[in-house]
Amino acid sequence: MRRKLASRPWLALGVLLGAGCAVRQPAIPVDQFVAGDLAAVRAFAEQEVAAGAAENQALVLNVQGQCELLMGNAEEARRNFESAGRIMGSWATSGGEETAAVLGSESSKTYKGDPYEKAMNAFYLGFCYLMKGEPDNARAACKRGILADAEVGDEKFQADNALLFWMAGRMSKLMGSSDAADFFAEATTANNFAVEHGSQGTADNPLLADPQRGNLVLVFECGIGPEKYADGMQGELARFRSRRHPAVSARASLDGQPVGTAALLLDVDYQARTLGGTAMEGIRKGKAVFKTTSTAAGIVLLDQASRNDGDKARTQAIVGGGLLLAGLFTSSAADTRHWSTTPASVHVLAIDAAAGEHSLVVDFLDAHGAPLASMRQQVTVTVPAHGEGWYLFRSMPCPAATAPARP
Amino acid sequence: MPIRLVTCGLIGLVLSACRGTHDTRVDLDAADSVTGTGLQSQDIRTMVNTMSARLKADGILAPSRDGQRVSFFITELRNDSSDVIDKQLILRELRTELFESFGRQIRILDRSPEANDIVDAERRMKDRGQVSGTNDRKVAGSDFVLKGVIASRDRQSGRLKSSYINVTFELTDLVTSELVWTGAYAMKTESTRSVINR
Repeated sequence: MRRKLASRPWLALGVLLGAGCAVRQPAIPVDQFVAGDLAAVRAFAEQEVAAGAAENQALVLNVQGQCELLMGNAEEARRNFESAGRIMGSWATSGGEETAAVLGSESSKTYKGDPYEKAMNAFYLGFCYLMKGEPDNARAACKRGILADAEVGDEKFQADNALLFWMAGRMSKLMGSSDAADFFAEATTANNFAVEHGSQGTADNPLLADPQRGNLVLVFECGIGPEKYADGMQGELARFRSRRHPAVSARASLDGQPVGTAALLLDVDYQARTLGGTAMEGIRKGKAVFKTTSTAAGIVLLDQASRNDGDKARTQAIVGGGLLLAGLFTSSAADTRHWSTTPASVHVLAIDAAAGEHSLVVDFLDAHGAPLASMRQQVTVTVPAHGEGWYLFRSMPCPAATAPARP
Repeated sequence: MPIRLVTCGLIGLVLSACRGTHDTRVDLDAADSVTGTGLQSQDIRTMVNTMSARLKADGILAPSRDGQRVSFFITELRNDSSDVIDKQLILRELRTELFESFGRQIRILDRSPEANDIVDAERRMKDRGQVSGTNDRKVAGSDFVLKGVIASRDRQSGRLKSSYINVTFELTDLVTSELVWTGAYAMKTESTRSVINR
């Protein structure tokens, strides 16, 4: 009887720590997203926002925002990205949440995303503000993304997001602000650094060579972003792997005339790979060692208890059982929740075009440079007499084109 | 016994982390419990109250000796900071506060594109006799324009981040281009990143 009473608190504690607070990655229908069934993905995200785990709000809001943006609902998308960004950008964490994530499952915490995911949120939010006609707020979003990119563990990779620097420069240009050149210079530095350290792209990036060029800006999102998974004996290591997708670049034709292949400004796979270590990784490694050791010790003590009699056996059984339960219920697994619908890369093509309407054909290209017929998109674009027209395209079968920006 | 105490303590710790939620009505001037590094509602309220009070104390918007009211309009609030913000929320609050503070002593003009369109349409209809009334007065001209800039200085190192935000308002004479008044509101926040968030 005494043995039963003694083991119950351990059991309860183990259940609470091990299972009670873990929050799983929402089952985002990535295949449907890749196939261009945005309405279905949006419906899923809406449902998750309304009734899913509160800890995953930012994640599903981002997915919903992407669907809204690609379906042409820029204002709704902005609200989604802004709400998500508010959660992802806050450094405030309650003591209870911190304790639960350290002692229990790491995935019990509120999802705030990795730096590259925060940077993607900032990119989308900036794009939405540009479409709203507020380049200053668009630039603010870019600046926030640049700061978020600086949160990576490895300092040398802290300012290598050329897309955000370049976009901030373009917003400054639209505002008539004097700091556009500084942002463009930073974009070139970031691009060169990223290429030198394994990012796709080229150091002689044609877009960055003439960063102010063009009044029709076409932004292409190619492929599908990296997947985060747990590695190591106890799943304590968070790792990223690229996902296969045929589209790796894009080109366009305007009124039947080829206008070139877009320049790569952001390699999302590279951004995810170069996050660097985290403090939580050390904690998880420690928990993994504890889990392995306490489980083994518990088994040994229980085995010895079965061979002994009296008080000694009872003590060994209590301690051994406690250690075994503690080991079994210690969660050392890495939090692998991630934004699974990011692109693998972002490319930009800036064109000088006459004001008015134009017929635009977008072709996404495979690794050999061949166009992917199923992803061809044909739309009418409008170039304003003053300012710039911005359009966003995703490598998927015929999604609705976004409405023009009104900077 | 010690094992039980430790176990109970840990269970209590975990349970306290899983406590329920609540909705509470709070004072409008109270600090936001949901924090961040940008301008909070408390800052916006303090800022518009302060700006309005300073403008009044300065006397630049006081009627002339012969009772002529000063007219002005509020134009853009440019965001140069690293935090997106609803600029119209601030400008509307400021305009309302100025109205409440000055009453009929000043003329605040609505020069928004929407207002201009409505005024133009109404005047056209009156000219054509489509609606009652006559355009017996000119569209009001403005003596001054009030505009603002939000700027920030952000610093980040390791687990620490600081953000200094400065909002400056300026009143410019639309005849002489003289900057006749300026007022600023500043705030600073510091944040420490939790070990669980990278």
